[in-house]
Amino acid sequence: MKRRSNDWIVGATIIVVMVGIVFSTLFLQQAEFGKKPELMTARFRDVGGVQVGNAVVIRGVVSGRVKQIALAPNDWVLISMEINEGTLMPTDPVVLVQAATLFGEWQAIITSRAAVPVNREVETQLAEADGAPAGALRGAVLPDIAQLTTVAGGIAGNVASVSERVRTAFNDTAARELRRSIRDFSVLSRDLATAVKVQSRNLDSLAATARLSFADVATSANALQRTMARVDSATSQGEVQEILRQSRQASQNLRNATERFESLSRSLVSAEANLRGAIGKADTILARVERGEGSLGLLVNDPSLYRNSDSLLVDLRRLVVDFRSDPKKYINVRIF
Amino acid sequence: MFETIGRVFREALEAFGQAGSLAAEAGRSVRDLKTWGPNFSQQARALGVNSLPIGILIALFTGVVLALLASYSFTGAVPRYLVGTLVQKTVMMELAPVLTGLALAGRVGANIAAELGTMTVTEQVDALETLGYDPVAYLVVPRILAGVLMFPIVVGAAMFVGLGAGWAASLGLLDMSTSEFLKGARLFFDGFDVRYGLVKSASFGFAVTVLGCTNGLRAKGGAQGVGSSATQAVVQSAVMILVLDAFWAVVWLLGRAA
Repeated sequence: MKRRSNDWIVGATIIVVMVGIVFSTLFLQQAEFGKKPELMTARFRDVGGVQVGNAVVIRGVVSGRVKQIALAPNDWVLISMEINEGTLMPTDPVVLVQAATLFGEWQAIITSRAAVPVNREVETQLAEADGAPAGALRGAVLPDIAQLTTVAGGIAGNVASVSERVRTAFNDTAARELRRSIRDFSVLSRDLATAVKVQSRNLDSLAATARLSFADVATSANALQRTMARVDSATSQGEVQEILRQSRQASQNLRNATERFESLSRSLVSAEANLRGAIGKADTILARVERGEGSLGLLVNDPSLYRNSDSLLVDLRRLVVDFRSDPKKYINVRIF
Repeated sequence: MFETIGRVFREALEAFGQAGSLAAEAGRSVRDLKTWGPNFSQQARALGVNSLPIGILIALFTGVVLALLASYSFTGAVPRYLVGTLVQKTVMMELAPVLTGLALAGRVGANIAAELGTMTVTEQVDALETLGYDPVAYLVVPRILAGVLMFPIVVGAAMFVGLGAGWAASLGLLDMSTSEFLKGARLFFDGFDVRYGLVKSASFGFAVTVLGCTNGLRAKGGAQGVGSSATQAVVQSAVMILVLDAFWAVVWLLGRAA
């Protein structure tokens, strides 16, 4: 009885634990019962870090697992994938394998050929895989995250190096000198602009002058042309002789005028001598007046005489007025 | 001092030699099913079923602590769903087998050594031989087979409970969702993880039971000798578990990674 109890308990424990382990494993492996997966194959030149059991993803949905990876002739690698039953495949499907996480997990993505990201290497791989046997999809491996981060790391290192060099070269002194250079350049630029403006104005003026000069030259050329034409016609019609005759006449007239002018000059010299004598006499008179000599000198220099004269003039003016108003008072005409 | 070191070293080698010899003898005695068969279920119950509570208790706390430790460690750019990954990998491949094995080394190893040691010092083993029983077939084989079979059962239960405890701790203490935890747990899950843990625990069961039987059957003197053999069995079992853990890691994981 005791032994039966032991058997039963041990057996039950073993079965329960085994069932628990099996179900836990299947649950974690996301195994699906009652569904028959479809097998698909894709061929690659290289499959990167893909391993058996990695997810097969269609439009972001895990739709299967990588079942097998095997080397094939002519440097190909074949990946067999189990795709869930009833999964709709994209049009013109291709398989891209890429790292799914930063922790080394990879996945196979089934997507349409048109949706493949633009990448020369991927295009080359897909083009190479174009002649895949019937039923096998074309495959390519996308750049590994590690490769990308390595490249990015290299770029970051270069940028840091350049930044360090710039920081070393561009110290406070360099910054001050650069500021000063920019200021100087600004002044230089302003001066240059002014000079250019002035030179431009000068050039405008010069051009205008030149334009006028050219116009004058053109006019002169026209006049010369006309003159030459006239000369040409004059020599043929006797007008030159007439011009010369008139010139001779004009010269004679000019000579006569010159003679008259010389005579006039002589008269002027005589008048000047007379005028100088008159001025000398007037000067003598004015000097005597200033000294108070003579009647005029007395009149000019003696205020009382002036006032008397003025008073006399006033009286005289009054007398005249009175005479005009009543002449009979002063004139007595008697006939008989 | 050199004499002491040499004696300890010699005794250790003798113990492992005797264990190997006993294991080989047990292998020969497996054919004697009539002798060990009736005792197997009793030993399976004593070594395995009765050890389930301690194994489950250890796994329970281990799962919770692992989830909290993972959450504490994974900060910044590390996604939180990796808590599930860490709990799954660590519980299934390492902690459940080793911690449960160490616990059972104490419980089972000491139990076997003390039981067989008492039978040895009280000459019950000699009496069995006198009665025509093969003491190895009657005493050792059922214990070794029970250990090899039931250790994986206890460890399997510990895996299940440890993962569940980590999931419950993630939900209750870390504000993670079930889908987050399961995503992490499934992300790197491989059937190999379970196989590795179970095979490793079977080897632990074999080592613990063989060393327990060896130390019990060579017990000398009275109660002191029995106690000494029990202590020796526990210490040697614990050391052997760690040695086997490293052995499987080197042999199986290293080979798999390559």
